[in-house]
Amino acid sequence: MAKDRLASALERWEAVIGLEIHTELTTLATKLFCGCPVEFGGQPNSRVCPICLGLPGSLPVPNQAAIEATVLAGLATHCEIAEWSQFHRKNYFYPDMPKNYQVSQYDAPFCTDGWVEIDIEGDGGPQRPDRDGAYTTRIGITRIHLEEDTGKMIHVGGAEGRISGATHSLADFNRAGTGLIELVTEPDIRTPEEARRFAQKLRLIWLSLGISDCNMEEGSMRVDANVSVRTRGESEFGVKAEVKNMNSFKALHDALAFEIVRQAEELESGGRVVQETRHWDAGAKITSSLRSKEEAHDYRYFPEPDMVPFEFTEEWIETLRAVLPELPDDKKKRLMTDYGIPAHDATVLTGEDLAMAEFFEAAVTIAGAERAKAISNVMLNDLSMHLNAAGISLAESKVVPSMVAELVALVEDGTISSKQAKEVFAEMAETGDSPGAIVELRGMKQVSDSGAIEEVVDRVLAASPDQVEAYRGGKTGLMGFFVGQVMREMGGQANPKVVNEVLAEKLR
Amino acid sequence: MAISEEQVRHVALLARLALTDEQVAEYGEQLNSILEHIDTIRQLDLEGVEPTAHAVDMVNETRADEPLPCLPLDAVLLNAPEAEDGAFVVPRIVAGGDEA
Repeated sequence: MAKDRLASALERWEAVIGLEIHTELTTLATKLFCGCPVEFGGQPNSRVCPICLGLPGSLPVPNQAAIEATVLAGLATHCEIAEWSQFHRKNYFYPDMPKNYQVSQYDAPFCTDGWVEIDIEGDGGPQRPDRDGAYTTRIGITRIHLEEDTGKMIHVGGAEGRISGATHSLADFNRAGTGLIELVTEPDIRTPEEARRFAQKLRLIWLSLGISDCNMEEGSMRVDANVSVRTRGESEFGVKAEVKNMNSFKALHDALAFEIVRQAEELESGGRVVQETRHWDAGAKITSSLRSKEEAHDYRYFPEPDMVPFEFTEEWIETLRAVLPELPDDKKKRLMTDYGIPAHDATVLTGEDLAMAEFFEAAVTIAGAERAKAISNVMLNDLSMHLNAAGISLAESKVVPSMVAELVALVEDGTISSKQAKEVFAEMAETGDSPGAIVELRGMKQVSDSGAIEEVVDRVLAASPDQVEAYRGGKTGLMGFFVGQVMREMGGQANPKVVNEVLAEKLR
Repeated sequence: MAISEEQVRHVALLARLALTDEQVAEYGEQLNSILEHIDTIRQLDLEGVEPTAHAVDMVNETRADEPLPCLPLDAVLLNAPEAEDGAFVVPRIVAGGDEA
């Protein structure tokens, strides 16, 4: 997707996006209504029992930890928690559920009316012509409810495991009955970047709460998007398409970018947008209509008769609120207040991965709070570039907090220059050796001894009498030339501050 | 209010029931008698009466998040007409999408 096609479409059209995010409660020991363990993969149908198989006479009992996880999710996203709620049966015929219904929530979900704020920086800003650069925006949350996940279907005999052309399908119910929270946003999202940032932020909130591993590739966090476009200034919604099958944040962004351009161009060429479900193909980078036969969805919801309703008291809700961990927004504010780092630094350190802020705080604990900004600089520049270039996560990197703390200290006490620090970083990222050891081994120590520097300065000045005369005659811009000469003579190891001082003294 | 033949066929489709024309007429009559009963109930003054979600007066029945034994695979597949690699075999799915 060419970025300028999106930018051009968004100048004329405003996109209206709402997300539906399903997250499996993977950190629970057991499923939602039975004692079968929650794990990924494994031998088909090895983690099933009469309850999750829907055998006659079995009785589901809700997992207390799943209820608490859902209410925590609501509290962490500023939702109202229902005083009274219940489960409903959602009836449909598809072999991924053995019961022909899914236990879900209908008109009485646990959590409603919340919000999450997102920070948009960098490339995301220009996607909103109505905003000026970086901005913060609030995305409303309609509801969060708890339901059971379905089983997995494997389609056999067709091309690439597709359902069309398959001779038969295999049903594995290991996942069936796993607790799943569904969050629905208000149609408050306006750009692909906002959608991506929202999903990322939500993942970090869920990870902070410890309710899921939020692994998009394994499907424990699944994002579907409703998207429509309307001319700027219009208040009515356009016809929306639902986009599915985006299994990374990048896929979410790219699928929405494609869909916005597709709808805008369709409307501009006199066509119309059809309400339908579209499938994102990450390889071809297009969305295509699922062309499923138009079906009247009538789920015939009714209250689940096998389980009694819930009544949450204010006291109980408050006991959960009291155990809320530090959430990304609080963490960002705390990093700014405790360590005096700028908002941009705090946003980056807390915006994509919980490990970044942990790493930062560990390094600052070792190096001292006065070096917080220096550590943040190394992390935002050298470390981020290293991770991007190597395509690895922080956890996979050989760089540990103590190494960054030591590196920053070596620069601050003048042992190495900041230019040398870049070389040391590259080497420590590759080898995992400590910066001190690398400096020692490579003989990289910066020379701050003014006696040694004076010797070289004398030599350089003696070799360049014309420049010395010109400098003394007023061409002070030649200072850079002298510094360069001295640094070259000393193999880049001289402390530039001392070199400048000595030169200024000698040239007076 | 009476249920139409068309509505009976729609409900049958939702429940995946194949009904003969005779059955449509027969069940239509039965459904109508149920609806008539509901009309009778509607004549009561139910102002301020909460809908009943459950017949027993209990709330918050939950269990602890503790694993219990699962069924052995041979028991799981005991009633399956056909199985393959430990999975239930499902006949070709002609139409239908994935459900969340």
